[in-house]
Amino acid sequence: MSEQKEESGLLLECRGINKSYNGPMVLTDVDFSMRHGEIHALVGENGAGKSTLIKIITGVTNRNSGTMRFEGRDIGLEHSRHAAQTLGIAVIYQELSLIPGMTVAQNLFLTKEPRFRMVRLIDIRKMNAMAQEIIDCYGFHLKATDIIDHLSIAQRQTVEILKALNSKASLVIMDEPTSSLTSTETSQLFDIIRKLKEEGIGVLYISHRMEEVYNLSDRVTVLRDGRKVAVLDEAQIDPAEIIRLMIGRRLEESESHHMLSRRDGEKVLEVEHITSERKFTDISFSVHAGEILGIGGLVGSGRTEVLRALYGIDPIDSGSVRFFGKPWTPGVAQSIRTGFGFIPEERRLQGIMGAISITGNIGITNLDTIRKSLFVSDRKELSLARKAIGLMNIKPADPAVPVGNLSGGNQQKVVVGKWLIRDLKVLFVDEPTVGIDIGAKEEMYQTFAQLSAAGVAIILVSSDLPELTRLSHRILVLRKGRVIKEFAEGEVTEEDVLRASSGLVEGGAK
Amino acid sequence: MLIASRRRLILIGLLLAIGAALSLLSRSFLTLDNLMTLLQEASQTGIVAIGFTLVLITAGIDMSIGAVIAVTAMVCANFLTYTHIPAALFIPMSLGVGLLVGAFNGFFITRFKLPEFIVTLASRGILAGLALIIAVKDSMGFVSNVYIQDPVYLSFGGTIGPVYIITIVFFAMAFLTQSFLKRTRAGTNVYATGANPTAARLSGINTKRSIYGVYMFSGFCASIAAIFISSRMMTAMPDFGIGSEMDVIASVVIGGTPFTGGVGDIWGTVLGTLFLALIKNGILKLGISPYVQPIAIGGIIVVVVILDVWYKSYAEGQARRSARRARESDSRSAAA
Repeated sequence: MSEQKEESGLLLECRGINKSYNGPMVLTDVDFSMRHGEIHALVGENGAGKSTLIKIITGVTNRNSGTMRFEGRDIGLEHSRHAAQTLGIAVIYQELSLIPGMTVAQNLFLTKEPRFRMVRLIDIRKMNAMAQEIIDCYGFHLKATDIIDHLSIAQRQTVEILKALNSKASLVIMDEPTSSLTSTETSQLFDIIRKLKEEGIGVLYISHRMEEVYNLSDRVTVLRDGRKVAVLDEAQIDPAEIIRLMIGRRLEESESHHMLSRRDGEKVLEVEHITSERKFTDISFSVHAGEILGIGGLVGSGRTEVLRALYGIDPIDSGSVRFFGKPWTPGVAQSIRTGFGFIPEERRLQGIMGAISITGNIGITNLDTIRKSLFVSDRKELSLARKAIGLMNIKPADPAVPVGNLSGGNQQKVVVGKWLIRDLKVLFVDEPTVGIDIGAKEEMYQTFAQLSAAGVAIILVSSDLPELTRLSHRILVLRKGRVIKEFAEGEVTEEDVLRASSGLVEGGAK
Repeated sequence: MLIASRRRLILIGLLLAIGAALSLLSRSFLTLDNLMTLLQEASQTGIVAIGFTLVLITAGIDMSIGAVIAVTAMVCANFLTYTHIPAALFIPMSLGVGLLVGAFNGFFITRFKLPEFIVTLASRGILAGLALIIAVKDSMGFVSNVYIQDPVYLSFGGTIGPVYIITIVFFAMAFLTQSFLKRTRAGTNVYATGANPTAARLSGINTKRSIYGVYMFSGFCASIAAIFISSRMMTAMPDFGIGSEMDVIASVVIGGTPFTGGVGDIWGTVLGTLFLALIKNGILKLGISPYVQPIAIGGIIVVVVILDVWYKSYAEGQARRSARRARESDSRSAAA
């Protein structure tokens, strides 16, 4: 519109951004820019610094050094979320910022409700009409009077986007917006994103899905280990190339092919055509004694859901499971008794009871072995805890310490330790090393290797590609709730797994 | 909102059905006199329940309301006994008791982020003791009954035509509060604060102000109720209102405001208080021991909550099923 804006050219310009939380650098000398009306994808592996960069742009956290300009105006080091909003930077959260129980119109006009001139009461009719006008103007399929609670996730995102538009945002940031959407909903969202572009609004888009990046973006910025490694223009966007850039420096390592090996032990678990509606479809595989079966795939591909269903937390709609050849109906209490173990994804929420001691945390899954008539034997419980502390090298080695006071790595050791003192047959592991230090990580890997050597079957879900390829004897890759690829024999590289996860099986972009 | 309105229709239906049954079973139920008394009793609980509903909408709770009634009544008793200040002057001043207590609650809840239940339970204890300390005593130091003779004060317990003044005030307050909730920005902020405080703050809502507001209003409502109760009883005792939280909570829960916040409205609470008063009145009219009342109220709360939970999961299942049907037809048409 205005000539000056066009002259300055850039909507957002970040130069030399540095950030460290305490100690290690999360972002080093990152340059990042966005043009007006551009769809810009930000890609990188987990931990590459994407989220941190977003947080800096939206004022959730402050950078240590570097300059930032938005629409030609300098943003000081002391940026804030409120300041970002006022400037016109909006983030689309999945559900966080909508008020349940209210209508679409109420959410759109929250704190800005139109009122009658004389009495200061809200003019509900006018508010609904104004909201409907905005909705229709963008051609969205929504009614102003719909209650948020009755909308699908995709529709809620639409409301979030409308809210951003209504607050005159000129930069809209979307962090993995499609991870919980169906394919129809995804294509609807893409139409909306293209519409935003037509309106001259910049869209910063974070995704792990290469075909989305390929189809949608005008430019792509690749981050790796907190540094900017490349900015690609539309003509240069090639999914295979992006994956190479994302893995980059570890190229030799990632190409150092990990040998997969068949285990011919007894079949412990045979899964045949299991399906759970909206979660996963027609999954079949088997695990042998002593085998580590890796499950790769993107967040939202159904990996965690498969583990939960097999352990007996969530129901299976159809298909069958065999345990040592016999039909098996999963159920948590029964699973534990029979020799299943489960290390959940969210340690703090699902793995530990923070206020309770190591002894209590370990005792809780082993009550069957330490119960003496009606009461729990404190002595036996304590000796179990000591044993687990010894096996896992938990620090501090004090059974009375509340687990919440331990470091992340030691908390995870407690979670693993409580299974080790049982007669384990199968262990389900979901993202075992997120947020723990390298030392604890190595110890964790050794533990899994020892368990495998002792004949325990392990199913490992991990987004950490080096971890997945290094530990697994065999790898399944899930995509949209289905097994899309199995790496059973020969060699596998991180790149292979990432390509399969992103939907680029056998090198072809879809 | 569909769920809420259907629930409301069921409640109205039940009210009418129980009322009809009582008319058949008891000859003294369907009389103007009894119905007006019933409304009067509903209004005593209802005025307090209006404030309490707002607190629940912010996902809080106010356990201090009963004790606010006691202290307000004692403040009035002191004015009546020891001063010649006219009632028209000291009554507005005594309403400040509720506002002050509400501000105290709001301060500790927002400033120190203490749990609402603990803060208001503590105020309840402090106020119950305070009521005894400031109670009018005889020469031996025992709490003595204050017999109210002030005509202005007593007029609050009176009627206009056949209708008690408190009933008129109750319905007027209900109407105004409902309009406040639904038609003002501050009212919208109350809902937002309870439904999703993080989102509310991100949208620029001052959630602390909403919280201060609802606790002050809750205390204010309790103080208003105190004036009417003492005026009707023509006396004031330091245990007035203590324990009345039970009836207030029951009314609001029956009315359909959940403890989870973000949901609820005043008309539901009005129906809830009428329902509760009807049950109590019915027990009396059927000649059942009044000691059964608390048991009946407790039982009703459990039944209502069970039905609410059951109905909610049923309604959510319906919504899921219809969404799935829409998706399926959507993908079919996309495939075609």
